[in-house]
Amino acid sequence: MSTFSGLNTAYTGLVAARKGLDVVGQNIANANTEGYTRQRVTTSSIGSLATVGPFAGPVTVGQGVSVDGVARLGNEFLDARVRSGASTAGYWAVRANVMTSLESTLQEPGENGLSRQLQDFFAAWQDVANAAGEPAPAGVLLEQAEVLVSQIAIGYREVENQWAQVRRETDGMVAELNDAAAQVADLNGRIRSTLQAGGSVNELLDKRNSLTSTIAALAGGTARQLDDGTVEVLIGGNAIVSGDSFRAVQATGTHVFGTLTADPPKLQWAHSGLAVSLDGGEIAGALSTLAPASAGAGGVLAEAAASYDAFAEKLAFAVNTFHNGAQSGTGATTGDFFAFTVGSAATTLAVLPTDVSTVATGVAGGGILDGSVADQIGNVSTSTAAGSPNVVWSDFVTSLGVITRSNLQQATLAELSATSAVSMQLSNASVDMDEENVNLLTHQVAYQGAARVMTAVDEMLDTLINRTGIVGR
Amino acid sequence: MITRTTTNMMMQNAQRNLQTNMAALAKLQEQASSQKAITRPSDDPTATADSLRIRAEQRATEQHGRNIGDGTGWLTTIDSALATTTSLMNRVRDLTVRGANDGSMSPTAKEAIAVELDGLREELLNQANTTYQGRTVFAGNSDAGVAFASSPLYIHSGTGVAEDIVERRITEGTKVRVDADGPATFGEGIDSVFALVDRIASDLRSGNNVGAHLNTLDTHMTNIREQQAIVGTRHAQIQRAEETHMERTVSLEGQRAGVEDVDIAEVILDLQLQEVSYQTALAVTARVLQPTLMDFLR
Repeated sequence: MSTFSGLNTAYTGLVAARKGLDVVGQNIANANTEGYTRQRVTTSSIGSLATVGPFAGPVTVGQGVSVDGVARLGNEFLDARVRSGASTAGYWAVRANVMTSLESTLQEPGENGLSRQLQDFFAAWQDVANAAGEPAPAGVLLEQAEVLVSQIAIGYREVENQWAQVRRETDGMVAELNDAAAQVADLNGRIRSTLQAGGSVNELLDKRNSLTSTIAALAGGTARQLDDGTVEVLIGGNAIVSGDSFRAVQATGTHVFGTLTADPPKLQWAHSGLAVSLDGGEIAGALSTLAPASAGAGGVLAEAAASYDAFAEKLAFAVNTFHNGAQSGTGATTGDFFAFTVGSAATTLAVLPTDVSTVATGVAGGGILDGSVADQIGNVSTSTAAGSPNVVWSDFVTSLGVITRSNLQQATLAELSATSAVSMQLSNASVDMDEENVNLLTHQVAYQGAARVMTAVDEMLDTLINRTGIVGR
Repeated sequence: MITRTTTNMMMQNAQRNLQTNMAALAKLQEQASSQKAITRPSDDPTATADSLRIRAEQRATEQHGRNIGDGTGWLTTIDSALATTTSLMNRVRDLTVRGANDGSMSPTAKEAIAVELDGLREELLNQANTTYQGRTVFAGNSDAGVAFASSPLYIHSGTGVAEDIVERRITEGTKVRVDADGPATFGEGIDSVFALVDRIASDLRSGNNVGAHLNTLDTHMTNIREQQAIVGTRHAQIQRAEETHMERTVSLEGQRAGVEDVDIAEVILDLQLQEVSYQTALAVTARVLQPTLMDFLR
């Protein structure tokens, strides 16, 4: 053991303490950085030099401390939980958003909803019945009918616009997904080469981690840690990122609501054209609302549009049944009141009569001023028979309310679970100021201690070199 | 199990809790200021269905109120026309009885009675052609403008079909007839009360005894009284309907308010509680988040 080894031991202590202070500094600096995972300096003691030769040497002490590295205190399982929580929450959040804004276009219950216009329309028929042959009530009725028809069309157009908007947003989300996947692939490559060169990749891992969370929120899926430090990200069972390469996905299908049934929007792999079967995430949520209608079980937007069509058809049917073949206030035989094209009734619904001479009021062949047919049409207003317009509309509003409510509840639950996962992750990975302060103190004291050791050794050597052998001088 | 608590985590939790408190506060504020418990279907789908049904019934009931008003107008008009008719008929009968005592009567006096009878016939025809808002109330659904054509044919302008009646809907399932049967009241053509009065006048002028017409005259008077009774019954029915309608309007509004509107006392109390808990959350957050170890190290 050399005379100066004590100095070196104290020096390693100084280096380790300084490194510790640096890491604490990095932690505090990044206390509010999103996705940052706290770090610790890892040290180990250096053992004494091995004695060589047949004779046992004197007792020796260790050679100081070695800085082994800077550990990143993340937890893979907590990260996986965050990803799965984000995937479910993303799916339900998109659905709940779409449902909420769809629901708000109805303006029900209240004075401004379609139901009010419908009731006003039927009430106008009663006024026509009370004054058959008078132009004024017939004019009011026709005006009211036009308002009702345009409100149905507006409701349908709002669904259509919302569909188009969600469709555009889906394109944006797919672009974001591809972008995130490309970045993960790039980071994979850098992490692998840095690790091979023996460097520290903590900050790169943080960045990659938040990107994989983004991918999970967008498209669900799983991330698998590989031995070379890279991560493989799978969506729908296939790798979107593998090593430093990624496979792009694309959203195909129509951007026009009208051609939805023929060409429904879906997600597919750009290279093979095969469909991606998503198990969660915002894109899956958006695609589920974009699906075509299928007897009540299809996409919510297409189903809402179909409900508008069904309502328009039932309305036309309910009025035309009485109106066709009756007699107007001028004695003319009347035809249909509403015209529409089957399959797109909501947008093609039109009022056929133009004035009092073509609005049915009475039974054909009866007195000219008979109002009984107009009265029958007016009395449809509160009919509770299945298929009567007000029942069809009420069923639509109520079922939309039920679906919205359940979607909102699901979204709240998923959000809670995602929040709890993030809490757990933060609990493990985030920087705690008190803890960093304690570490700061510890490393500072360790530095002071090491410096004191160095001073002591220095003074000892000073005694040996400068004060020894000067007796009698 | 969370074993480690960090400043960052506490900040985020505090933020989230404040946000939750704030959202609850906003919801209550919206309810208190709008007075509506449900503003969108998802607030309460069942109540929404009820609300839609009640609102539909309210609108229909409002319209029934208008129908009742219109019907009351018709029946009142008929009622007063029939009352006038009855007193005219009494005068006709008096004159006929007087004219029947022809022994003591000069042709001039008879002519005077005949002239008055002509006038009464004209007045009777006027009453039979009474209109309400442009509709002749004794003509059913005819658009002829008069119920009985003028002298001498007195043809009724209705189609004669049994369904040719005017009705007003007073509730969803009930209609009330608001016109009166012209032929049943006044007779038609040569059998009409107008033709009879004409015959009495011409008999007086030609010197025939008019006493033979008294029986027919009495039959006509009975018919008119009978119609008056029928119209009176309908009038009573529509007046009852009006009362029921008012009660129903009030009860429907009560139902609507019960489904849609908030209980203001409850909401205000909730609002107060929520305000207190929000302020508590703010105060606690401010106290907990401030200190770190740095405040105590020298």
